[in-house]
Amino acid sequence: MTLENLERALSASRADYCEIRLETRLTTRIVYHGRLLETVSTVLNEGGIVRALARDGGWGMSTFNSLDDLPNRVEQAWHNARLVPRREIVLAERPTVVDTIRVPRAPGAESVSLEEQHALVSRYNAILLGHPKIVDTQAAYVDQMITVTYANSEGTRIVEERPMAHVSLVATARDGTNVQRSGDGTSSAAGYPALLELDGLADRVAQRATDLLSAETVVGGVYPVVCDPRLAGVFVHEAFGHLSESDFLYENPQAREMMVLGRRFGGQHLNIIDDGTLPGERGTHRYDDEGTPTQRTPLVEKGVLVGRLHSRETAGAMGEQATGNARATDFRFPPIVRMTNTYIEPQDSTFEEMIAGIDLGVCACDAIGGMTMLENFSFSAGYGYMIRQGQVAEMVRDVVLAGNLFTTLANIDAIGNDLWFSRTGSCGKGQGGGLPVGIGAPHIRIQDVAMGGRQA
Amino acid sequence: MTDQNQMMDRLLADLARQAEQAEIYAVESESTQITFEAGELKSSLVEETSGVALRGLVDGRVGFTASSGRSDPATLVERAVASARFGEPLNLTLPGPLPAAMINTFDPALAEVPLERLVAIGREIIATLRAADPDGKIDVDIERTSGRSWLHNSAGARVHQTASGLRISMSMERVRGDDVLMVGDGTATTGLTDDYRAVAERVASRIVSANKSASIDSGRMPVLFTPSGSILLLLPLLMALNGQHVQRGTSPLANRLGEQIIDPRLTLWDDPTLPGRPASAAYDDEGVPTRRKALIREGVAASFLYDLKTAALMGTESTGNGSRSLFSLPSPSTASLVLEAGDTPLADMVAGISHGLLVDELLGLGQGNPLSGAFSNPVGLAYVIEDGEIVGRVKDLTLAGNVYDLLKSVGSLSQEQYWVYGRYLLPHVLIPELDVVRSR
Repeated sequence: MTLENLERALSASRADYCEIRLETRLTTRIVYHGRLLETVSTVLNEGGIVRALARDGGWGMSTFNSLDDLPNRVEQAWHNARLVPRREIVLAERPTVVDTIRVPRAPGAESVSLEEQHALVSRYNAILLGHPKIVDTQAAYVDQMITVTYANSEGTRIVEERPMAHVSLVATARDGTNVQRSGDGTSSAAGYPALLELDGLADRVAQRATDLLSAETVVGGVYPVVCDPRLAGVFVHEAFGHLSESDFLYENPQAREMMVLGRRFGGQHLNIIDDGTLPGERGTHRYDDEGTPTQRTPLVEKGVLVGRLHSRETAGAMGEQATGNARATDFRFPPIVRMTNTYIEPQDSTFEEMIAGIDLGVCACDAIGGMTMLENFSFSAGYGYMIRQGQVAEMVRDVVLAGNLFTTLANIDAIGNDLWFSRTGSCGKGQGGGLPVGIGAPHIRIQDVAMGGRQA
Repeated sequence: MTDQNQMMDRLLADLARQAEQAEIYAVESESTQITFEAGELKSSLVEETSGVALRGLVDGRVGFTASSGRSDPATLVERAVASARFGEPLNLTLPGPLPAAMINTFDPALAEVPLERLVAIGREIIATLRAADPDGKIDVDIERTSGRSWLHNSAGARVHQTASGLRISMSMERVRGDDVLMVGDGTATTGLTDDYRAVAERVASRIVSANKSASIDSGRMPVLFTPSGSILLLLPLLMALNGQHVQRGTSPLANRLGEQIIDPRLTLWDDPTLPGRPASAAYDDEGVPTRRKALIREGVAASFLYDLKTAALMGTESTGNGSRSLFSLPSPSTASLVLEAGDTPLADMVAGISHGLLVDELLGLGQGNPLSGAFSNPVGLAYVIEDGEIVGRVKDLTLAGNVYDLLKSVGSLSQEQYWVYGRYLLPHVLIPELDVVRSR
């Protein structure tokens, strides 16, 4: 489908604003579960979405697989927009853009065979299974090429390639009824050649699952906690980042009051940033899914709330600038306000300095789940270590942090110098599946974290 | 329709030339969705989906591909056969034509319901919630779907199924200072019913009950789970009964069919035969007839959930629980789940608690290590019960324990049951003693 087809369909639109986004998603997936090769498949998912705005109505949308009848989809979206009673929707102004983005892949990425891809994941799986206590694994290689063709009625035209290859490794260790899991992975837009040296990662994943078998459940209580960069990054994404998304704020005066700019969230050392321009990170794009250039948006500066994330619609409603954060999981969904790469800026503490003063605390590592209900959150760390007399001590498991966002951010009393971005982050937010996001942080120390667990 | 059958038979014949067993699965659906945000109709969306999936056994190995786009038959067959080169040998036998009971999952009247009627339902729900709290932000989503699926295989099965669905979800968000309340619920049925009214009333009463706040200290106490709260207790069992975990050796219930696992008052059904439920169907997604079965009968592990593959690996028969999306191979999944009600009126259960909790929603379900039965979850929506009365909403509490220990002996089950997420029909469940940790 060429841009001319989109332009022709758009030119017949009766909407005040109309956009078409078509996607071709070709995915090769190779998955081992234990000794069984569960999936080797190449699937094609193709389709599009038309979104139309009527000044005397609202948003109307049409999504589809078959690209045969674009003009009719445009008409259908307009018709749907007219069904909605009139409401004030103003899109923040943007200059139009015409651009084509092709991502350079590593030499050999395009020509790699199914045999080579299979051999790679089979090797990693064998490393996992080589550990005696490992009873189950999931070793997956996914290579995806997404081509997005976008055009809107204002004249913006973008063709963008979005390649991404992933390896994810999970090991399950079992000893009687004691079953423990651990997992890790990575991804790269450069493709297969960037994922060839993960033998050490596979070994660590299997070893950690094995070690968890003999770890005790953490004793419930209130502790100083040092979070590793992955957990700290997930925390800032889930607990804070989602509250910075203006679709949560723009129609909710009470929420706007809670998230009022200028409010103090933490100490002078706390800076939180969303940046869709960082080279090579998972949430990086030149434009968002409305054609707005991505940018660096400070959210918290010196502990004070200074910014928020916008689509053109939320920016228009709040009289602010669009920030390039309108993103869609895929062509089944309209773009909504999403994070790109969200991180805590590093300061100067070393890990050793952070644990030095702790008599009894927990070092919580990895995030295997997180859920927030606005200001309340719960995060499951993958594993942890007790900190005793300033030293990392025995491993513990079932480390679940729960608390209140505002008190927890205020209780961050040390921020490390070791900023690190996860290459596995993806975000749900009401659109099913995962949208790739960058999640980053250095080690951070938080005082007075409540932790569920066994009774001492 | 004829076109579809012809396309399927042509693909089947092409694939069968290179595979000893072949299966073509196709889906088509349309849906209309209207979205209310902050109490106002915000957008309207139509969605059309279509696609085809091929599965073949080539030299005893499984190959698979799928496409929702413009793929010519030769490419599809080539991709399916290429993927089979790597597959593990699997002794899979696709089912032939098998008789199944009629289960009505398509309501032709639903397609005729005018959009204005759906909009009116949204407004009615908003009015009910607004009466409970004029300041909260109310969101409502209504989606009407109509879907068809076709399955043709080389053993002669030709299954064509249609289904309709109406899904309504509603939520209220209320922010007072830094205090946030979020309450949500929904219905899912195959036709237009007035179930949404009872659900909206229930959401409204939860909002009103949360107007007062209460607190409680850490300790062991009785906890009464509402049907939506009870999902915490069922989740580990459902995972452990799934044939995938049984086959992989990760299920704590593997090799324990026939053993007393939990309290004999607990009986859990997997029921694909209930009329009007979206999870019902005469055949599963592999062409196997479905059936109602006890997963747990009077506390005894009674049946696992198998699709063709996990059954083949375990040397048994599929239980008719093969479930798939277009782009993935089938895997075992439940239909509607029904936990049998008890004989205690809910009012008596509440009245019998002198110092404890009513828990309606938990955060982070399924996080951590749910297969082991261990959980540690903060409450999302919970109320303190003192001297048999609900006194107010409580926050900043975490519940922790192990489901297998707690279900050894439940306090009681309510007479009342209701549907949660359109898929679970559950009573209230009283756990006599549970560890509660206060986090502030």
